[in-house]
Amino acid sequence: MNPPETDDSMDALLRGQNQYVEDNDFTARVMAALPRRRDRFWLRQIILLGATIICSVLAVLWLPLKNLPPLDWSALLSLNSQVLLPWTLVIAVATSLIWGIIAAVQLED
Amino acid sequence: MSFTDADLIARVLSREDHNAFGELVRRYQSPVRAFLARMTRGDSHLADDLAQETFLKAWQKLRTFRGTAKFSTWLFGIAFNEFRGVARKRKELALDDVENLLEEPATTGNPQLRLDLTEALKLLNSNERAAVVLCCQNGLSHEEAAQVLSCPLGTVKTNVLRGKEKLKRRLASPCENYESA
Repeated sequence: MNPPETDDSMDALLRGQNQYVEDNDFTARVMAALPRRRDRFWLRQIILLGATIICSVLAVLWLPLKNLPPLDWSALLSLNSQVLLPWTLVIAVATSLIWGIIAAVQLED
Repeated sequence: MSFTDADLIARVLSREDHNAFGELVRRYQSPVRAFLARMTRGDSHLADDLAQETFLKAWQKLRTFRGTAKFSTWLFGIAFNEFRGVARKRKELALDDVENLLEEPATTGNPQLRLDLTEALKLLNSNERAAVVLCCQNGLSHEEAAQVLSCPLGTVKTNVLRGKEKLKRRLASPCENYESA
């Protein structure tokens, strides 16, 4: 706000003239005139979905799903790389897939 | 539940949420349209066109809003630029030559006939009018007004003082000169 010394009768008179302007469909007109960004929106959706599908396929092909060591907490805690590495990969891929799905759902809101 | 401006802006930026932007337009349509109506000297159609253009620009440029100033200040800046663009093409909007008329207080005519404030505001030049309307009517600080008008702080202070002084003078004098101007 401005310093109090400028708050004289002229300020009061000017503030008194500052009346609310009724909307009268102004907002609706602005919203109707907004440029659509659906193209970019769909491009983002397609990229996200494509990346998710590609990663899923690669995960199925490359991950040693059949040779996964049993999930043994004592082996995991012993930091055995032969146990840790395959499970870390599985968890990383699963997290990425879940993240991709959540992001896609949020974009559709 | 009421969202803050920052919440709404974040929703627009992250999800291109039209409803959130609509709420921002609803919140600020009145001050922006009133400001532009003052700047266009009461031409409400032109003011609404400029206000619409202001909000469309705001939608397009929202990513450049850094949040260091108030959203309303940023909007007023866009609105003033829109006005300035039109005023360059339409000389009658600038009306800076009226300043000369204001320097000489009228002494003739019916003393009962007084200019009202709205009419008196129209007779200020556009920089004084903008400074007075932003600072005195919309409650912006001089610093905020300087940001909106892209001019030095001292210039805003001078324009506010000079504008108010002229308004006081004109409100106290007969208006016959202006009717013939």
